[in-house]
Amino acid sequence: MKLDRRFLLRGTCQGAAAVVALPFLDCFLDNKGRALAATGQRIPTRFNTFFYGLGLTKQLWVPKAAGPDYEMTGQIKPLEPYKKKLNVFSGLRVLIDDNPNFQHWSGVGASATGISPTKASEFDSKTIDQQIADVIARGARFKSVAASCAGDPKQSYSSLGGANTLPAEVSPLALYTRLFGPGFQDPSKGDWKPDPQVMLQQSVLSVVSEDRKRAMQNLAPGDKARMDQYFTSVREAELQMQAELQRPEIVAKVSIPAAPEEMVVNNALPNMRKVTPLMSRLGALALATDQTRIFNLSVSEPGSQIFLPGDPLGYHQSTHEEPIDPILGYQPRVAQYNVYSMELFAMFLKELDAIPEGDGTLLDHSLVYAFTDVSFAKIHALDGIPIMIAGGASGRMKTGHHIAGDGSPVSRAGLTVQKAMGLSVDGWGKGSMETKSPFTELLA
Amino acid sequence: MRKPCVFLLLFVLASSVWGSAAAWAASDSQVVGLRRLTEQEYRNSIADIFGKDIAVQGMFEPGIRVGGLIAASTAVLSITPAGFESFSKMADGIAIQVVNEKNRARLVSCQPKSAAAPDEICAKEFLSHYGLLLFRRPLTGDELKARLDLAQSMARKTGDFYAGLRYGLATLLQSPEFLFRKEIAIPAGKDYTLEPYSRAARLSYLMWDTTPDAELLGSAKSGEINTAAGLEKQVDRLMSSPRLETGMRAFFSDMLELDTFNNVSKDTLLYPKWAGAMAASAREETLRSTIDLALHRNGDMRELMTTRKTFINRNLAAIYGVPFTFDGEWVAHEFAPEEGRSGILTQVSLLSMFSHPGRSSPTKRGVALMEIFLCEPTPTPPNNVDFSVVNDTSGPLKTVRERLLAHATNATCASCHTHSDPIGLTLEGFDTIGGHRTTENGQLIDVAAKLQGKSFSGADGLGRYLHDNPKYPTCLARKLYSYAKGADSEEVDAATVKTATQAFNESGYRLRTLIKGVVESPGFFQAPPATASGTKLAAQ
Repeated sequence: MKLDRRFLLRGTCQGAAAVVALPFLDCFLDNKGRALAATGQRIPTRFNTFFYGLGLTKQLWVPKAAGPDYEMTGQIKPLEPYKKKLNVFSGLRVLIDDNPNFQHWSGVGASATGISPTKASEFDSKTIDQQIADVIARGARFKSVAASCAGDPKQSYSSLGGANTLPAEVSPLALYTRLFGPGFQDPSKGDWKPDPQVMLQQSVLSVVSEDRKRAMQNLAPGDKARMDQYFTSVREAELQMQAELQRPEIVAKVSIPAAPEEMVVNNALPNMRKVTPLMSRLGALALATDQTRIFNLSVSEPGSQIFLPGDPLGYHQSTHEEPIDPILGYQPRVAQYNVYSMELFAMFLKELDAIPEGDGTLLDHSLVYAFTDVSFAKIHALDGIPIMIAGGASGRMKTGHHIAGDGSPVSRAGLTVQKAMGLSVDGWGKGSMETKSPFTELLA
Repeated sequence: MRKPCVFLLLFVLASSVWGSAAAWAASDSQVVGLRRLTEQEYRNSIADIFGKDIAVQGMFEPGIRVGGLIAASTAVLSITPAGFESFSKMADGIAIQVVNEKNRARLVSCQPKSAAAPDEICAKEFLSHYGLLLFRRPLTGDELKARLDLAQSMARKTGDFYAGLRYGLATLLQSPEFLFRKEIAIPAGKDYTLEPYSRAARLSYLMWDTTPDAELLGSAKSGEINTAAGLEKQVDRLMSSPRLETGMRAFFSDMLELDTFNNVSKDTLLYPKWAGAMAASAREETLRSTIDLALHRNGDMRELMTTRKTFINRNLAAIYGVPFTFDGEWVAHEFAPEEGRSGILTQVSLLSMFSHPGRSSPTKRGVALMEIFLCEPTPTPPNNVDFSVVNDTSGPLKTVRERLLAHATNATCASCHTHSDPIGLTLEGFDTIGGHRTTENGQLIDVAAKLQGKSFSGADGLGRYLHDNPKYPTCLARKLYSYAKGADSEEVDAATVKTATQAFNESGYRLRTLIKGVVESPGFFQAPPATASGTKLAAQ
């Protein structure tokens, strides 16, 4: 049954029917401020990924103690403010079975799909964010949104499978325009009404999708799959328009800023430090206003090309060429770059945690799955690949834990995420990484 | 004309099919290629169909390299939701401009009875005209009817005839029949051969990087393009046009991997000369000098490796150490022999694209040049390699060469490094942004190399080595053939391009001869029988 939400709102909160605006929100929160109690609608739980290349240095990041009372080590120090809203996983393994260890790729594919990749630069299934999007995205304007803080559309680890990845927005301005440019109607505006243009565009799409039968004729199987993907994309555009005709479910206490200016977006760290907070803030606003429920942010490719001006090698080359300091036992410059990655991650969490929502923040109603391509980049090692999961998933995820390495496959973390996001899945992954055991101690 | 009898035979066999209206719609036809338009193909097509002043705004999904070419990935990738969303908005943006008051006199050929009401005849004329141009074939009856119905109902709803056209046109612009180049083959003897409209499109996108013009479409309509004489006539016409330059710029952009610049950052603290516009300047220098040699001077393509002639602008002059005293933006320039420059090998583009942000990389350069010019990819290194000796500049090993050689004493590393490093080491006289240098960390740089039994030194030595290497022209032929067909160059062997390579060699390595040789290669328009088509490379 499809209820008209606006009708429902009107019916339950008498007297405020004329304007669905900010003060209106509170009358739907229960006394703990937890949910839109009167309608039974909870604040949706959102899902995010954060990708950074080249892992961390084991000696400098893995906390000594397991469980809730661990100490924030040097490399994850930037995440200290979010310790209580974060779980860190050390010692997870990527099991590649009979596939090669594709350098800087096997770890990405395995973390994102639970499947050891059979081809370089291709995913063997939909990525985790898309699997989750299939379940939670309905009703939001965009099924998912991706952004690259280094300005490369290919730095997206969100895919429907195969070589096609969902391209990332390449600048704060591009991201802003997609989210809040033409087609965006501010749900907090009192005079919200559906844009009649959307209905006309729906008729256009319906003509396009009617061509499907003809378009699929006489295609070879591979091309058939590609054409099918095209029509899936058309379908998604139709759903987007349906969503645009509905006032977004949540009216967040945020205001949409003016468009950001054009800026240099590349791999130079000083630029990334300016771009990452902007991208993060826009993503957070998109989640808060229900433009999307899935936001994927990346700061690099696998084998990160981030560099600090003055360093002739940069991050990736340093991991391979910097000698291990015989006294320290690790690569000092690489270790510094590792910390920079965590600083960028902290910028993302900061923006999610800055938006109040119900009795907490947007971060409390989200999950952020942070992953990388390797554990020890110098030798492309995969054992002990670091995974972090931030956010409380609206109370479904217990946080503040260090899950110490027991050699489980990385897919257990992915399965835990899906359980916390409310997906009804029993297992995840393939081959040696197939698992039916989430980290139950984290699930509320 | 190389194979008159084959073409004649094909014509006779198949003429009955394309004598009728729609060979491409025949039930025994097979789609043998489904290629997503590249950004440039899209932009050029829109400019040719509607005029250059129609703005195209939006995001294009990136391609990836398959066998060294993005063109090959267009046959593997599809259109994702974000990609379609962008195409859909672009379509509407274009359609709005086409029918607006400024453009409608030029772009809408008929007058409606009333601008405020539907007019079936005029709408039909408009939609079938642009349908043909956008789909690169006539619309089917159903396709036209669906759009006409939409235009009519929208005109009624909005009280605006032109709004009806806008929405009708927008459906054409976001249809897969426009966004993908569908290549359709029909039975011809034991094999399949491309039907006329697909031929016209393949030729046009190869040679002009755009949608077929009226004459090509006419030649497809009559079936003439599927005759040997008809094909040659069209090839010669496209070849003699200045627009060949657009087509070949697109090819060389792809083959020389110039899009790599989109993702190159340089450390401006170490190399302050690397300013914002440098990448665009370097890319333009390479295209300009390559096109000048290949088309304007109809030169020997091997000279690309050795020539000291190029074009520079003010940005590049700073890196090349040339005083720039000219008024114009670009000026022809010839390096002195002692400057050690050698063809495009020492242009800022290739030197800087295949380097680290703040340091040159013989390995990156070597690997790239082997793949680009000799079609010899280098395997990825083993996972567990200790490269630290390569970086230790404080130790006794001062130059990259010394450090690389020390690292390559390891047997597993040696097999690949002896393959690609020598090429890169000869270019060590140039830093990460392409500037000339003679020392590294205070030590004189040694630019000697030995490769496949041949010793040479410096960039000019490398240039001569590649100039004389028969693998280079063969590789160029393989790349052009793969580019035209959207095939993986690693799966296109030397035998496939044998006749084209032979003609190329005999002509003294003229690019035009190679293009013609590729297009007239046996098998260029051929496709395997339908049963085999299921094995072709495709996305999951």
